[in-house]
Amino acid sequence: MVSGTFVEVAPPLRAREAGVVPASRESWWTRARRIAPPYLYLTPAVVLLVVWTYQPLAQTFVLSLHSWNLVPGTPMEEVGIANYERLLGTPELGRSVWRTVVVILGMLPFTVVIPVLVALLTRRVRGRAQGVYRALVFAPMLVAPVAGAAVWQWLLDPSAGAVNRVLGTDVNWLNTTGTAQLSIIVITGWHVAGFAVLVVTAGLTGINPDYAAAAQVDGASRSQVTRWITLPLLSPTLAFLVLMTVLLSAQWTFPLIDTLTQGGPVGSTTNIYYLLWEYGFRHHDAGLAAAAGVLFFAGFIVVAALLTRLAERLSHHDD
Amino acid sequence: MTRSLLAAGAAAALMLTGSACGLGSTGTGSEGSVSRVPELAPDQEVSIVFESYNFGQAGAWTDTFNELIAAFEKEHPNITVTAQKPQGNSANPATDTISSLQSQLTAGSPPDVVQLGFSDLDFTINELKALPLDDLVGRDAVQANFDGARHPYAPSARTLGDWEGKTYGVPFVFSTPMLYVNKKLFTEAGLDPEQPPTTWAEVRDAAQAIDRRTGKDGVYVDCLTKTAKDWCFQALVRSHGGTVISDDRTRLTFAEKPSIDVVRFMRDMVREGIMPNRTQTQAVESFARGDLGMILESSAIQGMFLQGAGDAWELGAAAMPSFEGKQAVPTNSGAALFVFAQDPAKQRAAWELIKFLTSERAYTTIATKIGYLPLRTGLVEDPGGLESWAADNPYLAPNLAQLEHLEPWVSMPGPSYLQIRDGMMQAVENAVFQGAGPAEALRSAQQEASALLPGGER
Repeated sequence: MVSGTFVEVAPPLRAREAGVVPASRESWWTRARRIAPPYLYLTPAVVLLVVWTYQPLAQTFVLSLHSWNLVPGTPMEEVGIANYERLLGTPELGRSVWRTVVVILGMLPFTVVIPVLVALLTRRVRGRAQGVYRALVFAPMLVAPVAGAAVWQWLLDPSAGAVNRVLGTDVNWLNTTGTAQLSIIVITGWHVAGFAVLVVTAGLTGINPDYAAAAQVDGASRSQVTRWITLPLLSPTLAFLVLMTVLLSAQWTFPLIDTLTQGGPVGSTTNIYYLLWEYGFRHHDAGLAAAAGVLFFAGFIVVAALLTRLAERLSHHDD
Repeated sequence: MTRSLLAAGAAAALMLTGSACGLGSTGTGSEGSVSRVPELAPDQEVSIVFESYNFGQAGAWTDTFNELIAAFEKEHPNITVTAQKPQGNSANPATDTISSLQSQLTAGSPPDVVQLGFSDLDFTINELKALPLDDLVGRDAVQANFDGARHPYAPSARTLGDWEGKTYGVPFVFSTPMLYVNKKLFTEAGLDPEQPPTTWAEVRDAAQAIDRRTGKDGVYVDCLTKTAKDWCFQALVRSHGGTVISDDRTRLTFAEKPSIDVVRFMRDMVREGIMPNRTQTQAVESFARGDLGMILESSAIQGMFLQGAGDAWELGAAAMPSFEGKQAVPTNSGAALFVFAQDPAKQRAAWELIKFLTSERAYTTIATKIGYLPLRTGLVEDPGGLESWAADNPYLAPNLAQLEHLEPWVSMPGPSYLQIRDGMMQAVENAVFQGAGPAEALRSAQQEASALLPGGER
């Protein structure tokens, strides 16, 4: 086979000199030149992807099989799967996974329910006011999380804070195990709701108004149109929002947790990413943090796959 | 399909083999004794980097340190000092010191002189390999610096940066836990503001009175949360006759009766409603605003309290209270200066900088401008030194008096020292403020942390 290709090389060369190149008989060089451009165009992107994403991913995996405290002078010690065993043995892991689930469930109203309501309502506002409303709803997204956190910290202050004064309570919201998580969810929700509204609004704009008009001609009421036409056609957008919430909630909350509670009080706001960060960069336990990273990566791949499949099945497409 | 899978597998295998290098080293490298560094030649130019968390704190701290560095460069025209704050973005730059140093060590270019806390001592010396000053410049030179030109270091402060008889760090700044009181609230509650409580039972009574008669919060003990670290929790436990770790550093002892009793006493004050559930920042701000009767706090925060008090209320200070019938044992917080320079010339220049920063002259500047305790305690009686400043500063006397009973802040051992410390403090916080049972919380934390000790099951 191999020698056969070599034999075939010569005639096309002569054929090219003659100016006739049969498609199946071109030289390897010409063929390479014909096929190469798309790959050449892709190369920079692929190289960057490998250098910045897959190489670190592989390194993380290697690191997760070692015990190392991030000190360059100390040798990395190979420990096999001991890090995974230790990780799965800590009660803290189970607790942080549960807290992450709570955060995700708590975020859904802010990323799905409220945005849909707001988007549907702002649609009824006409003219310039509509833009103003949308801008107002979107504005919190533009506030830097850390700056927003500082303001919320004042609002939630136990002795001088506005929240306690309005509610007439005496709660230290961010430093009580029962309320700290709730506060983080509400603040994160306040922060990302505007973005979700934007996504839903875009989804609504993509729905052909003819359907609603046709239904109204048939005598459908406004709520019937919303229930039976708008919402089903919006389902791909909603599925996207749910997917985003599940995959990104833990990341959205990170800067707020880091500024407001540092995972406390007594670990009650430590979700999986904060736990990973504590292992790696507070306790300098690189192996354990890497093991956690690999585990969460795998876990989120599974969750993402399940959710995409579920979304495919449930979504209603306007084909 | 199979082919692309195979290709992906091969690529992954390639990357795995390639990625193993570049992380960590295989040799131990810096082990062994360090040779003596020569003096600098008169015309030898050296530049060194000094990393201190004080440069991350705006205002008095940064200004004073810049002033000192400028004075040093004037005295040593051939040495250029670049001052930097630790990398990181914590609200309190002092918490970034170790991770910053670690990442710079990883990159191969550590700062030459670094200011690190005493809680990190074991890790700094045994894992990060700070250089032994006794080997670098000779024990005589190190001791001569402690003796000083006129005023020696306080005896209890001299050995705080030592490890197994060798000096690695020169103690630089430190503070002790003090009981600060709001004199105005004391008067309103019918208490004598000139007689602050001296025992914890008196603290509780005073706090009850303040709570009942003024409606403000009674007391906050800033030693009971993870954020507060463990320095003054250690002081409380030792004042009650206990320890948090055995003397030979092989066994954790923070779940024994003395610490459980301390935690129980503090928890009871929270339950009674005379100690509010606050974070460290909230408590400090609340006291500065005048909403809190007493606070047990590091003397390094005093400037902020004085500023907060202004004309609205008057600040009073007393030594750390004792438990009935026992001697109070304060511990020190604070930091020492360590050398990480690789090059002999930089090592010598680093020592020159340390000598300058711990000189009588530097301490005079640091004490007057920042309020840190001068470790050369004789300075406060020196008319040419700090005598007039001490006379104007009524908060200094109890602080200096505490040095007599001072015991060092014990760092936790091994590479997982922070996990051990955090685990302990989280249990204390959980019991005092979040309603967990003191004995159970401390015992389970001690059990978890014991596995992290060197020679534990890890």
